[in-house]
Amino acid sequence: MSLLLEARELVGGYGGTDILNGVSLSLSREEIVVIVGPNGAGKSTAMKALFGLVTVRSGTVWLDGLDVTNAAPETLVKRGMAYVPQEANVFTTMTVEENLDMGAYTRRSGIQAAKDRVYTLLPALKAKRRQPAGELSGGQRQMVAIGRALMVDPKLLMLDEPSAGLSPKVLDEILDAILAINRSGVGVLMVEQNAKAALSMAHRGYVLQGGKNRFEGPGPALLANREIAELFLGG
Amino acid sequence: MLIDFINNYLMNGIVLGCIYALGAIGITLLFGILRFSHFAHGDMMTLGAYLGLAGVWITGQPVWIVLPIAMAATAGVAVGIDRAFYHPLRNAPTIVAVIASFGVALMIRSAIQVIFGVEIRSYARGFERPILLFDAVRILPRHVWIIGLTVVLVVGLQLFLKMTRLGKAMRAVSDNPSLARVTGINTRAVVIATWLIGGALAAAGGVFLGLDTQLDTNLGWNLVLPMFAAAVLGGIGQPVGAVLGGLVVGIAEELATYPFFGGQALLSPAYKSAVAFAILILMLIIRPTGILKGRVF
Repeated sequence: MSLLLEARELVGGYGGTDILNGVSLSLSREEIVVIVGPNGAGKSTAMKALFGLVTVRSGTVWLDGLDVTNAAPETLVKRGMAYVPQEANVFTTMTVEENLDMGAYTRRSGIQAAKDRVYTLLPALKAKRRQPAGELSGGQRQMVAIGRALMVDPKLLMLDEPSAGLSPKVLDEILDAILAINRSGVGVLMVEQNAKAALSMAHRGYVLQGGKNRFEGPGPALLANREIAELFLGG
Repeated sequence: MLIDFINNYLMNGIVLGCIYALGAIGITLLFGILRFSHFAHGDMMTLGAYLGLAGVWITGQPVWIVLPIAMAATAGVAVGIDRAFYHPLRNAPTIVAVIASFGVALMIRSAIQVIFGVEIRSYARGFERPILLFDAVRILPRHVWIIGLTVVLVVGLQLFLKMTRLGKAMRAVSDNPSLARVTGINTRAVVIATWLIGGALAAAGGVFLGLDTQLDTNLGWNLVLPMFAAAVLGGIGQPVGAVLGGLVVGIAEELATYPFFGGQALLSPAYKSAVAFAILILMLIIRPTGILKGRVF
């Protein structure tokens, strides 16, 4: 099992303050890996640091064995990393199809094939493709956001709290779609507030606290760990 | 009565509206994509008008022929100005770039005054015989040209924004810059395209105004307020809105001087630029998002 992504001892944050104080994680292409932890643990910041949106002051990020520490998002997208932010993650004034077109901005060919693939993985989008993304429901928007990220045929899909603000039923649909995406050969790294739902589907999980790794292990094992349950997952 | 209204007021309003629209599109695109109010846009129009004049002097051709050259040259200057003055300020608070744009406005105007002088000039234009429609409506050929070319430019821009990869990327950056960044959209190309389009359309507007009236070095500066009113009225970030806003402001300014009640002009022509002010303030109070829902200041 070769590593798709490896991050070692990341330290960094916004401005002068460090939010990450040594986060390490890794992921292979076959895996779904989830980052959980209490509020302020640095989960989203860790993901942004991987994607070049937060400056890494020390530590290293490798993608497919290549050092990509502090690389620009544009470069990382071209290298096969795609990122779905938690909020404002669709172009609301543009149609679903235009959102997908924008996802393919960095590529010159195979756009139609990528679009067909997205419509296969996220069939709900096809019927809505001429509708402005801003008119869609929360769950559908999340699908558009994921579809947009998939347009580059990424090796690694990073999702920041895909469940935020969704009803349990819609959340299930999204998680099913994420499973299908993973089975099609895309590594998935997810930050989740809804730890139960996320860890139960994850191959592995990391528990962060205070910008550091606290626990790691297979998803179900973390869920079963009483200490973690009490500390972070609300029992 | 009605014919006089159309010939002497409505037509002038539409032509003025087209000129405002061409400037307001650039203002609204720049605000949407670079997120600052570009107060040098009027002087960019002046620049376009004078580059047109230079083209007429050098080639001896009518201004219609040199218009594309004036547009291309102004577009190039716009990109250069961005590179030299606004690009270094991109990460500073917006107000810095706004103030810088006042400086740029003065620089452009002074450069034009040094090179071309401060006298009033005009593109050599003989007497124009109006085209007569329905035996009553008189339209000047230059007005037909101005309106027709504005329509062509606006439709062309709209097709570009809807159909092309770069055009869609411009809309994406205007819609959500941080998402555009994580999507991998090349913001540099988008910024350059925005200046090219804004500069070219400003030049067209400047040439049209110079052609319809005459050239003086304050030509564009005097338009800044009505053009901002047009951009706000139409909805900031919305090019189609800017066109509608431009037409509303232009027509309103001209009609405000029509003697609706008897022999006196409703508003003395000297005050007609106050109309743009009034529209701007009213719109900001009643519907700050503009006709086509744009961004709120």
